[in-house]
Amino acid sequence: MMWLPALLALPLVGAVVVAFLRGNDRMARLVAMAFALGELVLAAGTWAAYSTDSADRLQLTVSTEWIPAFGARFSLGVDGIALVMIALIAVLVPVVLGASWEDKLPEGRTVAGFFSLVLVLQSLMVGVFAATDVFLFYVFFEAMLVPMYFMIGRFGGPRRQYAAVKFFLYSLLGGLVMLASVIGLYVVSADRLPEGGTFDWVTLQRIAADAPLSTQIWLFMGFFIAFAIKAPLVPLHTWLPDAGAEAPVGAGVLLVGVLDKVGTFGFLRYCLPLFPAASRELAPYVLVLAVAGILYGALVAIGQTDMKRFVTYTSVAHFGFIGLGIFAFSTQAHAGAVLYMVNHGISTGMLFLVIGMIIARGGSRLVDDYGGVYKLAPVLAGLFLVAGLSSLALPGTSSFVSEFLVLVGSFPNQPVFTILATVGIIFAALYVLWLYQRVAHGEVRGAAMASSLGEGVNPVTGRPRFPDLSRRELAVLAPLVALIIGLGIYPQPVLDVITPSVNATMTEVGLTDPVPVGPAAQPGGK
Amino acid sequence: MSALAGFLAQTPEKLTAPPIDYGATLPVLIIFGAACAGVLAEAFLPRRQRWSVQVVLSLGSLLAAGAALGRYATKDGLTDLVTFGRALAIDGPTLFLWGTLLALAFGGMLLIADRSVEPGGAFVANAAIRPGTAQDRAQTAGTSVATGMQTEVFPLALFALGGMMVFCAANDLLTMFVALEVLSLPLYLMCGLARRRRLLSQEAAVKYFLLGAFASAFFLYGLALLYGYAGSVELAAIGAATAGNDRSDTLLFAGLALLVVGLLFKASVGPFHAWTPDVYQGAPTPVTAFMAACTKVAAFGAILRVLTVAFGSTRWEWRGVLWAVATISMVIGAVIGLTQTDIKRLIAYSSIAHAGFLLVGAIAITEQGLSGTLFYLLAYGFTTLAAFGIVSLVRNADGEATHLSAWAGLSKRSPLVAAVFAFLLLALAGIPLTSGFIGKFAVFKAALDDGMAPLVVIALVASAIAAFFYLRVIVLMYFSEPAADGPTVTVPGAFTTAAITLGVVVTLLLGIAPTLALDWASVGAFTS
Amino acid sequence: MLTLAQSAEVGTAGGLASLAWLLIALPAFGAVVLLLGGRRTDRWGHLLGSATILAAFAYGLALFFDTTGLPAEERTRGLTLFDWISVNALHIDFGLRIDPLSMVFVLLITGVGGLIHVYAVGYMADDVNRRRFFGYFNLFVAAMLILVLGDNFVTLYLGWEGVGLASYLLIGWYQDRPYAATAAKKAFLMNRVGDVGLAIAIFLLWRDLGTLEYAEVFARVGELSTGSLTAIAVLLLLGACGKSGQFPLQSWLPDAMAGPTPVSALIHAATMVTAGVYLIARCAPLYNLTADGRLVVMAIGAITLLIGCVIGCAYDDFKKVLAYSTVSQIGYMILAVGLGPFGYALGIFHLLTHGFFKAGLFLGAGSVMHGMNDEGDIRRMGGLARFMPITFATWFLGYLALIGFPFLSGYYSKDAIIGAAFGEPGWRGWVFGGAAVLGAGLTAFYMTRLMLLVFFGEKRWEKLTTADGRAYHPHESPPVMTVPMIVLAVGSVGAGFFLHSGERLVGWLEPTLGGLQEHEHGVLPHSTVLVLTMALIAAGVGLAWLIFGRRPVPVQRPVRVSLPVRAARADLYANALNEWIVERPGIWITRLAVFMDNKGVDGVVNGTAALLGGTSGRLRRLQTGFVRSYALGMLGGGVLVIAALLVVRYS
Repeated sequence: MMWLPALLALPLVGAVVVAFLRGNDRMARLVAMAFALGELVLAAGTWAAYSTDSADRLQLTVSTEWIPAFGARFSLGVDGIALVMIALIAVLVPVVLGASWEDKLPEGRTVAGFFSLVLVLQSLMVGVFAATDVFLFYVFFEAMLVPMYFMIGRFGGPRRQYAAVKFFLYSLLGGLVMLASVIGLYVVSADRLPEGGTFDWVTLQRIAADAPLSTQIWLFMGFFIAFAIKAPLVPLHTWLPDAGAEAPVGAGVLLVGVLDKVGTFGFLRYCLPLFPAASRELAPYVLVLAVAGILYGALVAIGQTDMKRFVTYTSVAHFGFIGLGIFAFSTQAHAGAVLYMVNHGISTGMLFLVIGMIIARGGSRLVDDYGGVYKLAPVLAGLFLVAGLSSLALPGTSSFVSEFLVLVGSFPNQPVFTILATVGIIFAALYVLWLYQRVAHGEVRGAAMASSLGEGVNPVTGRPRFPDLSRRELAVLAPLVALIIGLGIYPQPVLDVITPSVNATMTEVGLTDPVPVGPAAQPGGK
Repeated sequence: MSALAGFLAQTPEKLTAPPIDYGATLPVLIIFGAACAGVLAEAFLPRRQRWSVQVVLSLGSLLAAGAALGRYATKDGLTDLVTFGRALAIDGPTLFLWGTLLALAFGGMLLIADRSVEPGGAFVANAAIRPGTAQDRAQTAGTSVATGMQTEVFPLALFALGGMMVFCAANDLLTMFVALEVLSLPLYLMCGLARRRRLLSQEAAVKYFLLGAFASAFFLYGLALLYGYAGSVELAAIGAATAGNDRSDTLLFAGLALLVVGLLFKASVGPFHAWTPDVYQGAPTPVTAFMAACTKVAAFGAILRVLTVAFGSTRWEWRGVLWAVATISMVIGAVIGLTQTDIKRLIAYSSIAHAGFLLVGAIAITEQGLSGTLFYLLAYGFTTLAAFGIVSLVRNADGEATHLSAWAGLSKRSPLVAAVFAFLLLALAGIPLTSGFIGKFAVFKAALDDGMAPLVVIALVASAIAAFFYLRVIVLMYFSEPAADGPTVTVPGAFTTAAITLGVVVTLLLGIAPTLALDWASVGAFTS
Repeated sequence: MLTLAQSAEVGTAGGLASLAWLLIALPAFGAVVLLLGGRRTDRWGHLLGSATILAAFAYGLALFFDTTGLPAEERTRGLTLFDWISVNALHIDFGLRIDPLSMVFVLLITGVGGLIHVYAVGYMADDVNRRRFFGYFNLFVAAMLILVLGDNFVTLYLGWEGVGLASYLLIGWYQDRPYAATAAKKAFLMNRVGDVGLAIAIFLLWRDLGTLEYAEVFARVGELSTGSLTAIAVLLLLGACGKSGQFPLQSWLPDAMAGPTPVSALIHAATMVTAGVYLIARCAPLYNLTADGRLVVMAIGAITLLIGCVIGCAYDDFKKVLAYSTVSQIGYMILAVGLGPFGYALGIFHLLTHGFFKAGLFLGAGSVMHGMNDEGDIRRMGGLARFMPITFATWFLGYLALIGFPFLSGYYSKDAIIGAAFGEPGWRGWVFGGAAVLGAGLTAFYMTRLMLLVFFGEKRWEKLTTADGRAYHPHESPPVMTVPMIVLAVGSVGAGFFLHSGERLVGWLEPTLGGLQEHEHGVLPHSTVLVLTMALIAAGVGLAWLIFGRRPVPVQRPVRVSLPVRAARADLYANALNEWIVERPGIWITRLAVFMDNKGVDGVVNGTAALLGGTSGRLRRLQTGFVRSYALGMLGGGVLVIAALLVVRYS
């Protein structure tokens, strides 16, 4: 089946087409949206085509000769983990386009430019998750930086140049370190394969698994550093607040929602199966980083004065949870981590969008410039709260399911780390509710609201007052709310897709669940 | 009397002409032939006709040489051979290097020939006029009759090219030295021919000449010592000698060192790079492009040959030192590049860094190392060629606006040029989907395979640092507001357009579908 | 026998019970319609809201009688709705457990909830957002029903935090009162602290038993090691403390009175805050096996009930006094369930009766404040009995029930607990029994004080005006408010006797909690306990009358007061403690973290960049432009290369 190549190609075509429409904004918007929706349909088709009960690790595979000299092939394929991420992308991109529909762009920038960049990025992100050839993966992994770099740098906030360069260099550095490991992986395979080196994931997984521990650790480190920068683990996270805060909201959503997931995805797809021994060996150290991230990210988030930076720091905390789930080695925790990647994309995406809408009205990113938003825009405030609650993993929202799975799955192996992480949910409640209280509750106050107090027109936005959500904005947020609640109450379809793949991953790591099956099989506790 | 008679009586012994495989060496012969023809044309044709004739002649000769090379290379039953009385070694690498040189030279020649960007061409009409004098102002302004360009540049370029081709095919050090001079002297001259900023240009020429002479001296001294060691100047013989004999290794290694210094100079590898920025900046941009692309290729061709054939068996003694050299080169290039404010100097430092990367591949004396380095040369050549092509387009009242500040907001003025340049910069930075990435990958793979992991890591860090100054230019072009009295972007004429297109297309192709080139690059080893 | 009773096979619910999902669906439906419907549902929103609850109550009754029809061992039925979260071994259904315990709560929640909904129709009549209020209210009922009906610990947790959300939304109802928002946040956070305990307990169960279903867990609770048993018991208790405002997490409950009175009545008196008691009762099989665990529970209960009484004596805010009374009454319940087999049923018993009279008392308070321009300070009231007779009557009955006046509800439930507490062997009996009976006396004191200050004495409000200068015109509330109060009053009077006679409740709960056991020989005989209790209650009432009944009460609360009073007024310094131990250090830590992140972690990153730049700038100077220096450089390089090569060669 050609599902994956199609998923890869469609947005690219769209990007080209849109790029040529720079003269006609309206047309550009519509065409871009059309392509995004088309991609969504394709993704649905792919989801349908994927079989949850087939035994193959990777499905819908496509593979052709590419660079025989390097043993690199153009191979695509998905497992459950990649599939849900691709679905997430397909859902988020139309939302992002809708949200950026009427953005105030810096002068000289065109909607067409931004939208075509979004589509390029979409195609590359699909590639990252669908690649089953390590070389190909690396190519997408690096190439992905370029469109995001231009999005931040061209369409971003006041400090966009600094943020863009910092983002690019930081990621590039990680990428290059990974390149060393990628090559190393090839060399290892070349030593062990009669037919010479390869980048084919399946083969490598077979070979690398029984490489000596020292080799594994070196190669693991290369991949790990790159991924730890992408899915920022403390202390490699400081590029994210700048990038996230300066990026236009749409780009921010994709950055935090999907781009960073490449890191956690990488842990699951590359670090664990390719270097099982090293993963087991180094897990404790990674867990320290992860849990530190949960608590540290939350603390710093509490202290933020800039709403966009705030979101990025909450994400740092969330990525800590994902990291914990991945390196605690149980299928429940893994499934939770994968689900977390999806849910975080949705809920933090929504939080980002809502905050973006507030900023678009108030013209300021500072918390102190707001107050009593609830009075003027109840719907907006309400959805702000919904996003926040989902971010603090309130039961009934999708985030709860994933967070619960991560914690309950991690506990048997890592009680101490899990308890520390669980304390993190108190902080989560604190940072969300405190922000909400300051922005939405109380009397209308703050510089950004001044215009709404009958003191004329807001100097920044030129709007007379602080309006509630428009139909377009509602339409943008509605699907996200639906997903948050829907997946909170009935996540099983997604879990069914994920579970076989995480089971496979566990086997590849060579571990079994701490809590096996069936209560009957339980040894007496005493 | 009789003695005289006896003397007269004796019959002279026959001088036997050395065997020459014309089929194999035809490309070089064509180039030199065309060069000589060019000189004659300069002598006999009226000024008006010269330009057109020269252009046709040089481009034609390049095509012809290319065709000849193609014919020979595709001949079945092709075997490595040593011809011209063991002076030239025609083997796989040679053919690849020749092909690369001819292609790059074609691009360079197009830039040189262009007369649309700079009215009358980038070269001064009459180099003999002293800069700053009334006539000089006249000829720069293009008001005087003599606005045409100094067309000697064409044959000079061809001579240089011929020299390069011999340089990387030379089978013995003496030939190599001669070739070195043949390729260098014309370049020195060409550097001084700029139409604008003539003083800078002439200064560059002088610097290049002096330092080049200095380097040649090193080379020659090394040659002598090695002759003393091996009793032969032939690379293979030296290689055989190193294999095992009782002569002093001091001669060997001192010779090796001096020889290598001479070569590294040409390849502008740090710490022998000092001339590069000044010369790149001063020389007329087309010449800079020609140098940057072709000289690198030739020099590294020679380095590869010497190290492999002559010193392959002693690599364990010298590799460590070249590690250090490569590191220094990469670090100097990457770090000093960070604070450059002139686009041409910036690319110069980038070329120093790239020289370091190339050296990483070159000192891995393996099939992979060879093919990787060759591919890298090809890729880098085209990218840098196109880059300088773009540089020549961004101009203000007094010629090219090479100061970075002038490039601010270029994407507004001319999106296409900005986009192309951004793409080339990403290629230089080694971002995937460009030839730069594949090249780096090939080289590093070879190095790692040959157990040079630490060096590779250093190289990777260096490329991360280097990425910054490429990004800086992109930031300027895309994220900054254009300066009020910014430069204009000239719409290039057919020649420059062709050259740039060539460079960009190759850069893209080698990035996406490098297979063909990689296969060419792995066409067996040097003969010995 | 106990564990047997617990692990009694869970039959699958058929017939009427198969519709049990309606219990949750109805209020949930109401909530969705009201919250998504927007302004267009304003006109009939409150009606729909109440209707759904009443419908749920009706179905609940039907189901209840349906259940009573079954033999005891078949009264525990399960209804699996769908597969909620399941990954390999971990399998969590969205399932309901219909058994005597959950049924009791269903009736309490929907019954009292229904009444309070009706009351709120009147109370919130002039609030523009009344529709949304009912949306939240329905949301709460739905969540509360999930909490009590769920058949595993995760659905419990779902309901647990669900009610927390509803409580958060409703405490913060008055958007424009900053202290409301703060109180709401405080409530949610302190609950989260408890939730962490609950969560970790769940993790432990999963690790040791590999299941989270009540039936499974309780059937195999014996497999738990003593260590984890105690741990789980204490962690669950922590959860209970958060939700039920028990020591040390009690200080949010009084602040929660910032919400509208119906909220205080339903959520913060009758139902939600009793969830902790439910949790411990539900986990009876687990607590049965850990005496240490139970001891901790009892201790917490005893401490809390005293704290509540003491502070209750000092407050002048109508609702806050009631709030602290709630705290202490729940203390009684916790103490009761802490007694284990001797007290589970009593705890639930008191929970029910308390549900009636405390709800009644709150509604009464609401009615009074409603008639007094939302005045809450009891020192500004007085002599209101005459102006709002119905309110006074119902409130008075509630008051009697609460202080445990003979043959009213509280008398049966509370005194039973006191008796059981004295039943404990050795020092426990004296300590806990003593605490309980002392509490009874204090309760009588502060409730009497409250009543006297509000309904009797001189009309202090005549000479006063509200903050915004309006005079007080106390008046009786409309029937829509008084009727529910009357119904509840009836409950306060009769429920105790009804449920007590013939061991109705205890017998009914037996399949879930096991039979109630009686102490053969406590430290004091029951009769003595009874007399002692009555004496103390009488003393409390009398003392209160002596202090507040005979002489006029100053409108300004006296400043120069004895140390204990001052301490009591300051919540026994609970908030101060929180501030000094948690808040201030927290703030500093956050500031430190932010600083560290900007200057430290990010500093390293930018520092590296700066360093490179600086190096570059310095190295750049080497490029002097003089050929001589270049040549020198080359020479140096060359020499170095030669030297290096030779060194390498000859070493």
